[in-house]
Amino acid sequence: MSPLVPGLGGLIKGSPVPRDNDSAWLLDVHRRGIPGADTMARYHDHDEVDMVIVGAGAGGGTLAQRLARRGWRIVVLESGPFWDPDRDWVSDEAGQHQIYWTAPRVIGGTDPVQLGKNNSGHGVGGSMIHYAGYTPRFHPSDFHTRSQDGVGADWPIAYEELRPHYERVERELPVAGQDWPWGDPHAYPHAAHPVSGAAEVAREGARRAGITMRVGPVGITNGVFGNRPHCIYRGFCLQACKVNAKASPFVTHLPDAIAHGVEIRADSHVTRVEFDGAGRCTGVVYMHDGVEHHQRAAAVVVAGYSIETPRLLLNSAGPRFPDGLANEHDQVGRYVMVQGAPQVAGRFAQTMHQYKAPPPEISSEDFYETDPERDFARGFTIQTVGPLPIGWAEHVLADGHWGHPLREYMRDYAHWTTLGLLCELLPQPENRVTLAQETDAHGMPVAHMSYSQCENDRANIAYGKRVLEHIWEAAEAQDTLTIDRYAHLVGGCRMGTSPETSVVDSDHRAWGIPNLFVCDGSVMPTQGSANPALTIMALASRLADRLGDKRVGEARAATAGAHV
Amino acid sequence: MAHSFQTGEHLPHNRPEGDPPDPQGLPRQRAGVTPQMHGRFPDFDVMAHREHWDPVTRRTLEERVAQVPACRFFDEREQRTLGAFLDVVLAQDSEPRIPVLQMVDKKMADGKLDGYRFDDMPPDPETWKRVARHLDGFAERSDAEQHEVVRRFSGGELDWDDLNVSRAWSVVMRGALSEFYSHPWAFNEIGFRGPAYPRGYMRRNMGPTGVDPDEPQEAFGLDPVRDLQQRSA
Ligand SMILES: Cc1cc2nc3c(=O)[nH]c(=O)nc-3n(C[C@H](O)[C@H](O)[C@H](O)COP(=O)(O)OP(=O)(O)OC[C@H]3O[C@@H](n4cnc5c(N)ncnc54)[C@H](O)[C@@H]3O)c2cc1C
Ligand code: SF4
Repeated sequence: MSPLVPGLGGLIKGSPVPRDNDSAWLLDVHRRGIPGADTMARYHDHDEVDMVIVGAGAGGGTLAQRLARRGWRIVVLESGPFWDPDRDWVSDEAGQHQIYWTAPRVIGGTDPVQLGKNNSGHGVGGSMIHYAGYTPRFHPSDFHTRSQDGVGADWPIAYEELRPHYERVERELPVAGQDWPWGDPHAYPHAAHPVSGAAEVAREGARRAGITMRVGPVGITNGVFGNRPHCIYRGFCLQACKVNAKASPFVTHLPDAIAHGVEIRADSHVTRVEFDGAGRCTGVVYMHDGVEHHQRAAAVVVAGYSIETPRLLLNSAGPRFPDGLANEHDQVGRYVMVQGAPQVAGRFAQTMHQYKAPPPEISSEDFYETDPERDFARGFTIQTVGPLPIGWAEHVLADGHWGHPLREYMRDYAHWTTLGLLCELLPQPENRVTLAQETDAHGMPVAHMSYSQCENDRANIAYGKRVLEHIWEAAEAQDTLTIDRYAHLVGGCRMGTSPETSVVDSDHRAWGIPNLFVCDGSVMPTQGSANPALTIMALASRLADRLGDKRVGEARAATAGAHV
Repeated sequence: MAHSFQTGEHLPHNRPEGDPPDPQGLPRQRAGVTPQMHGRFPDFDVMAHREHWDPVTRRTLEERVAQVPACRFFDEREQRTLGAFLDVVLAQDSEPRIPVLQMVDKKMADGKLDGYRFDDMPPDPETWKRVARHLDGFAERSDAEQHEVVRRFSGGELDWDDLNVSRAWSVVMRGALSEFYSHPWAFNEIGFRGPAYPRGYMRRNMGPTGVDPDEPQEAFGLDPVRDLQQRSA
């Protein structure tokens, strides 16, 4: 398939497409819809497939591609639609409502997290359809913050176990950026993108303030990569990239998965996991066109992200598991995390039109690690964000303006450039997803998400905002505007070493249910201050190795009869 | 009068009263429409670039401008109250106005909601209704009274038994701003080039060499009368 003849690799400009994932070559040069959607494998509900995956996002999509290459027969059930970007997407901030998870959810706690467009996606490709595109790795320290810094939790796996998968996924996206000096220093397959004037001003301010910023890392092609188009720098990454320049499983893994026999069944919302008398899953119940279906499977993987995954485990309660699946010790839904993501914008004499770039341009991890000089543990990253007009209006509103002052700041849009933080907020048991009284269109209880910050969180966010103010001062900004907000979701079904303190083991297997796995952002015990998508994909890639090599003890039994 | 936006002295934070200069002093829009016909970029009309957009996006924006839906969700009394309230919070004190009330109404009627609500709040459509009820009579108040009510609403200083006032402010303002700043007339006012697909941008660096072809030009330093005379000469 791949035209990369051995020996010629060195002659081809850009980054060679990995040999074990043909997605970039399978894309059509003239159309944005992914090929194979009409001709892909179809399984019957009563066929026992080797694996059913709930959710076609970062975790589910990557896992499907990897295992399909090893011959597993897989059905991915996705609640949302199968996109055709040419037909379904618009390059417009308000017109992309349909790509977000907009079914009802309830939020609470002392610092509620507003969801909607700022959280999960709905549709084939999952939340990476509208993620910004930053693809940093976690630092090695993220995997043992409890023993190193006395906060958070230790993962049951170490950074070194993910490193080969980070490298592999970075080649598949492919990631563009400067050589990365932080964490485990590494280089990227594509060179850094040219930066816009808006990011240049921020970089100069940081330089004067003694802070290092680097260009990247972004999952946006910057050169030749199969049939993936180049970025055209028009700033709509958070509204879904109609160009296909921005990486998401939709373009990086699902074409190859489909070519290797995976069925992606869209508009199929899973409402329950089903069991036999022995406590093994037998498949799932899902709704398609208002009709209830059952898909049989030898193994079930839940990959619905940090709110829907715990909700599905809780909603699957039955006589055998009265408190929900893997929830004997009341762990499901706990330790949900977000990152503190305040943004401070700076104003300059010249116009920059900050929308003339992908929002993710440059970042700094200078403040990532715990620093004894500061009064809190762990840290934050600094990144450019590039709000479009509605995002900019929310920013101005949050700074306390309405009426004429608001309109004036809005008219001034062209003169502003915006930096954001991702502050590591600590995992806490009471930050959790539970079931609300209210039900959704399928009659299932919706999720309630409670969120409250702790003192360390508040100190981290406050310190970070002062650093941003300092950068703009150094850059001689004429004015600043600030908004407090959150970004990203992880946790809720964390991996660990015992059922008393976690939901899944280091192989993503639900405690007490041998053929049920969780493979998405919800398994993370901590979140660092890196954006999570690359790590979610790397975890899925690692899980595929573990399952495919049959190194997950009982998975072998779970998939007996499968032609692995 | 000459405008210069270089120094930033026109910005509310940099002015003693925290109020911007009267927008009537801004240039009149010459190309396309802006809300109230004033703006920074008098010769910029985003819709003039529509033939360069992909057909689906083009249709979305054309319909947004052309089709003003009639209210189905708010009754007449609510429309009067909320219409007056939205004019104040969005500073739409004259025609042409972006029909934000109708746009919000359509969203509520269609149930196109954001997918979450605070556990101490009703769903958004009900929040809007309750806000309308609490602000009843707003349309009949004087400018100064209206301003004072909105100031207290924005600061969470009102006392409403069945609504958390700060959250209600956030719900209605985010709702209103999402509509206002989705409208191509607002793009014209702030110099936003909209879809830019499939064309994209070419020059993106700082300074004069970073100005892209067709980039909206700010009318700072121009005397509108003299400028117009020059243009028509
Ligand atoms: C505005 C925004 C910007 C972001 N920017 C970045 C960024 O720059 N970098 C980064 O790394 N991350 C970013 N993220 C976060 C990133 O997108 C997510 O962390 C990641 O995609 C989550 O992967 P996942 O596999 O856990 O879930 P998802 O990718 O969300 O996939 C879950 C899928 O499961 C489906 N699903 C859920 N429940 C069911 C059910 N019951 N039945 C069937 N299907 C179901 C959903 O529809 C969804 O498609 C951003 C997120 C947002 C919202
Ligand atoms: S800026 Fe680039 S990556 Fe982002 S949406 Fe546009 S083309 Fe895609």
